[in-house]
Amino acid sequence: MRLADARTLLPDLITRGVEPEADRRLLEAIAGWCDRYTPWVALDPLGAAIAEPDAEGRAEACSAGGFGGDAGLLLDVTGCGHLFGKDESGERALLADLVERLARHDFTCRAAMADTAGAAWALARYAERQADLFCPRHGQREALAALPVDGLRLATPILETFLKLGLRRIGDLYPLPRAPLTRRFGDQPLTRLDQALGRVDEPIEPHRVPPAFRTRLAFAEPIGRPEDIAAATSRLLAALCKQFEQAGVGARKLEIALYRVDGSVDRTAIGTSRPNRDNPKLMKLFEERLGELDPGFGVELMILAAPEVEEWTGAQDSLPDTSAVGASLSNEDGTIDLADRLALRLGAENVVRLVPRDSHLPERVQTTAPISAEPVPDGAWARLASMKGARPTRLLQRPELINVTALLPDDPPRQFQWRRHAHRIVRVEGPERLADEWWCPRSNGKYAPANSVPPARDYYRVEDDDGGRFWLFRDGPHNAVKWFLHGFCA
Amino acid sequence: MSVISPNAFAPPAAGPAQGQVPPTLREQVRRLERAHSAQKAGRMAVPTGVAAIDILLPEGGLLTGALHEIEAGPTPSGRVAPHDGAALGFAAHLIGRFGPGTILWCRQPSGGIDAPPYAPALSAWFDPARLLVVTARREEDLFWAMEEGLRAPGIAAVLGETRAADPTAGRRLSLATEKNGVPAFLLRPQPAPPQSVCTTRWRVTSAASPSTTPGLSDLNIARWHIELRRNRFGTPSTEEMPSWLVEWNDETHHLAVVPQARHGSAGPSPAGISWADPNRQRLVG
Repeated sequence: MRLADARTLLPDLITRGVEPEADRRLLEAIAGWCDRYTPWVALDPLGAAIAEPDAEGRAEACSAGGFGGDAGLLLDVTGCGHLFGKDESGERALLADLVERLARHDFTCRAAMADTAGAAWALARYAERQADLFCPRHGQREALAALPVDGLRLATPILETFLKLGLRRIGDLYPLPRAPLTRRFGDQPLTRLDQALGRVDEPIEPHRVPPAFRTRLAFAEPIGRPEDIAAATSRLLAALCKQFEQAGVGARKLEIALYRVDGSVDRTAIGTSRPNRDNPKLMKLFEERLGELDPGFGVELMILAAPEVEEWTGAQDSLPDTSAVGASLSNEDGTIDLADRLALRLGAENVVRLVPRDSHLPERVQTTAPISAEPVPDGAWARLASMKGARPTRLLQRPELINVTALLPDDPPRQFQWRRHAHRIVRVEGPERLADEWWCPRSNGKYAPANSVPPARDYYRVEDDDGGRFWLFRDGPHNAVKWFLHGFCA
Repeated sequence: MSVISPNAFAPPAAGPAQGQVPPTLREQVRRLERAHSAQKAGRMAVPTGVAAIDILLPEGGLLTGALHEIEAGPTPSGRVAPHDGAALGFAAHLIGRFGPGTILWCRQPSGGIDAPPYAPALSAWFDPARLLVVTARREEDLFWAMEEGLRAPGIAAVLGETRAADPTAGRRLSLATEKNGVPAFLLRPQPAPPQSVCTTRWRVTSAASPSTTPGLSDLNIARWHIELRRNRFGTPSTEEMPSWLVEWNDETHHLAVVPQARHGSAGPSPAGISWADPNRQRLVG
């Protein structure tokens, strides 16, 4: 039907433009919210699963009795029902809880539960009675028999042929011989049927990678005070650390999610530079972050997950309540914990160790590495320094162009001007010639010469008449010599 | 806090030896001076390695649980120092005396010049592998990082490079150092308004090399002019502002007072004053 026709029939029709992007974002938000039931939540891959998914055909297929169009979510709730009750009653309760909570946020939804994703898909869209929505264990064959073939997630041309042939119900396909069916229609109908009946495995790709370790804490009453959230975090952390100990791992990354009463989810994460399962230390890291979380109108559920874990490499866990043992841990431990805490607030790139590199160019000798990197062996710096000449105590990140006066072009400098101040040079040491590394060309900095001759720098240590010491170098070809200030000496 | 009897401050009438302070009295005075100090015996002070300076300092060296400020002074010609290389060298020398353990080096890049410390040169004073370098954009982050560092186990010393002079932050740092027995250093590229919280404040200026050195090409010996502008708990000097001209030998890694020229301000004669001299004892900084 055209919009004009529809408006003629119903003059006060409210119309809205289609916003697939916004719809998808909303669906992803709901998927994130569904993490409260299971970590394994996927957006319905219907669009990709159907062979020729032209939008019109799918709309027709759905209008034939399907519910919800192409907006759907798949939840793998294996082993999650026990949180709501025993065995089947728990799973029923989970389903009811999901529908009721979504309805509270003004979403109309239909949810079905079955052994297979295919069966649940079909039931949610095509089941006629409310009671059919929950398919008991191993009952999908009977449950699906009466549903229209649309429930098999087939391409529109196949569906149309099925209808022409009088195959209207999924049950009509059960007695048909498999080989002729495949020859006539290809793989799809039987694959879909087998997936729905559980004969073929159907993997679901979760929208967020489910963490290997997670704990959840649901509250009878929504909480909102920062102290309560901190206390809950502490409890979750204790439970998670116990899981870590049993599995012999430590967390590299932890994420806490607050499920607010208004249906939105707030998350924050902490990272550590090596596997950690020390409850107080992790809690200390979280304390930095918890302030950023907004409980909104209240938090009804909190989930703590460890998306990244690594094999536990640390020492044996210290005994609880013996601070003496904790204090006697090696210096390295204290430093790494400190670095984690600092990196959380200042950014990991701002908390670094200095690592030596064997290079001629002074700016390449000193590199930085995160604290988690391999520690520098003792004395490596001293060895490196002993091979070089005298070096400044501070090195400019970027050499600064200066005006230098020298008697002859190749002579040592007599005076230089840096930042509007003239410095008369009374003492010079040099030159120390440092050639460029031809195997590793210099980046195209401001001071890199344009010609292709591998340049060399002549470094001078100079002292001005005030006793200030500087590190200068001469760069560039003979006809265009430039002087730079590169560092400050002690 | 234990109550100290009023006669604790009187010179010991019948001391075991003239000129010796009984250890109990020394301990009482120390407690009075630093009520919150949690320093352990034997970790009280680390000598700077220059005898003439150590003699003025409390316990004969830099206190471990204390805040020390080092600022780059103006040049001899009165200009603002173009860089704080000399002050950095002196700070590195002092830090190198503390150890073992990690050195937390906090920087706050301030407008224009971004010149981080260069490890090959620092290796003259300590192993740069011990450094944990932190870059903070805001001064409150810098002071926070320093405080965190002071509280962490296994940290030998904490240094902050900043222009900021926040008395509250300085006070907090001072308390944190006293509580944890870890020294904190503030390195300033320019003199800042004096604060009362630091235990020692040094002003370091580069000085011209000795003219007697033959030739133009010997820069191994750097001369620094060091002023001790504040010396809390220390021995008062004979002059208003004790200062020294010291030489740093880049080859032998040796810091020493220039022998003949005391630069017009001689330190106290070593024989005349020792910190244990009861008549010279200063109780409150």
